[in-house]
Amino acid sequence: MRQRVLTSLMVLTAVLVSTLMVTVPVIGQAGQAPAKAKKAAYTPPKLPWGDPDLQGLWPGTDLIEVPMQRDAKAGERTEVTPEEFAQRQAKAERTAENDKVAYVAKDSKVGINPPGYWLEHGRPQKITSLVVDPPNGRIPDLTDQAKQKAAQAKQAKQGHGPNESPEDQSLYDRCISRGVMGSILPVIYNNGTQIVQGPGYVAIRYEMIHETKIIPLDGSPHPSSNIKSYMGDARGHWEGNTLVIETTNFLGDKNGIGLNGGGTPHSADMVLTEKWTRTAPDMMEYTATINDPKTWVQPWTIRMPLRLNPEFPLYEYACHEGNYAMFNMLKGARADEAAAEAAKAGKK
Amino acid sequence: MRRIPSVAAAAVGLLLNVSLAVSPAWAHHAFAAEYDGKKQVHLEGVVTQMEWINPHTWIHIDVTEPDGKVTSWMVEGGSPNILLRRGFNKGSLEKGQKIAVDGFQAKDGSNRANGSNITYPDGKKLFLGSSGTGAPADPGPGK
Repeated sequence: MRQRVLTSLMVLTAVLVSTLMVTVPVIGQAGQAPAKAKKAAYTPPKLPWGDPDLQGLWPGTDLIEVPMQRDAKAGERTEVTPEEFAQRQAKAERTAENDKVAYVAKDSKVGINPPGYWLEHGRPQKITSLVVDPPNGRIPDLTDQAKQKAAQAKQAKQGHGPNESPEDQSLYDRCISRGVMGSILPVIYNNGTQIVQGPGYVAIRYEMIHETKIIPLDGSPHPSSNIKSYMGDARGHWEGNTLVIETTNFLGDKNGIGLNGGGTPHSADMVLTEKWTRTAPDMMEYTATINDPKTWVQPWTIRMPLRLNPEFPLYEYACHEGNYAMFNMLKGARADEAAAEAAKAGKK
Repeated sequence: MRRIPSVAAAAVGLLLNVSLAVSPAWAHHAFAAEYDGKKQVHLEGVVTQMEWINPHTWIHIDVTEPDGKVTSWMVEGGSPNILLRRGFNKGSLEKGQKIAVDGFQAKDGSNRANGSNITYPDGKKLFLGSSGTGAPADPGPGK
């Protein structure tokens, strides 16, 4: 109890301190419009063969705390209020303090979920949501067709436990693929993204479940629509200093446009347009426009400012070889069933 | 070197879980599907192996029961990539190192546990959290 009081006091202090701290930057923000214009004018260095240099490690770690969809109360506001930003800063400072505690308290309680050291943390951000278009920052409505499909999928699962077979797990849990957007949307850990360029090609690597997209820049067309894959077929070109990637030929009804490939699955006909623009030596603006008229009533766009972090190398992510979790979850479900059967038999 | 399942502690653990459950997408997979929230365990043992595998690491320990019997346990740890970024490496946890684990046992009753708290015998955390990516050059949040 005493610890709780202490924690409350610490939180209150942190809030007060960060409120005081943000006063100065807030005044500075009034002059940010020219700074933005300056950003757009940034010219990235060129590679020996003339392409803009986008190479490097661009993890999404800073965006972990930014919600995908905007709080409806924020309306069309793209940045949080100074008070909200102070809260985000205070939370980050609290997390940093908690992380530094070196000893486990004698009476500390544990839960089934993993402890804090499993999580990566980034710098607090001002943006209100990752979705920026429609202007309300919300994912558009599903089409009638998509709603029907979702209802059918739900019905098919009726009376079917969540762990009856490996196929009940997500493609992520099965170490197959997080899909084209699930591979880059920020999650609790392993948010590494790397760009490597060569003449005529760009390669983008994603850390978790380790996808690599190799993108030809030679103007060649997408293959026949009969050829489909989880990550689709990506083709790129330059518009000024912006790398524009159009991806088609997806396997439909597999991954969604959500964290780790969750959310409503997109269709095979989705056209994804991604733009990579270096806005400063250490900043990249990344946008992705999802155009899938079979699934959403209108196209929508996600925007993420990514910060260069040379200290965030991608480590190999060989998932399947050690995926004990699959076995453990299925075994857990069988144990639950056996216990339920035994309880039933006991009552008779 | 003992194993103490505690019903009271498990009840508290369950309460804590309820509050944690609101956190989005906690980990790679559903921990509640793997572990039994009613079987809290305290394990003190000696490391025999650490498996650096994805999606999550596993620490193997030998636990000596009060009657002298040795049982082997597997404890689920963090993702290898995040541990590496924290500066932890394959030489960080040697065979023979004594550790204590507070967690919950697998639902099927086998000797597997989640490692909610993994500490050295003096209570020092085996894996510390990090204010940033764990990289030395990262100034952490708010800087």
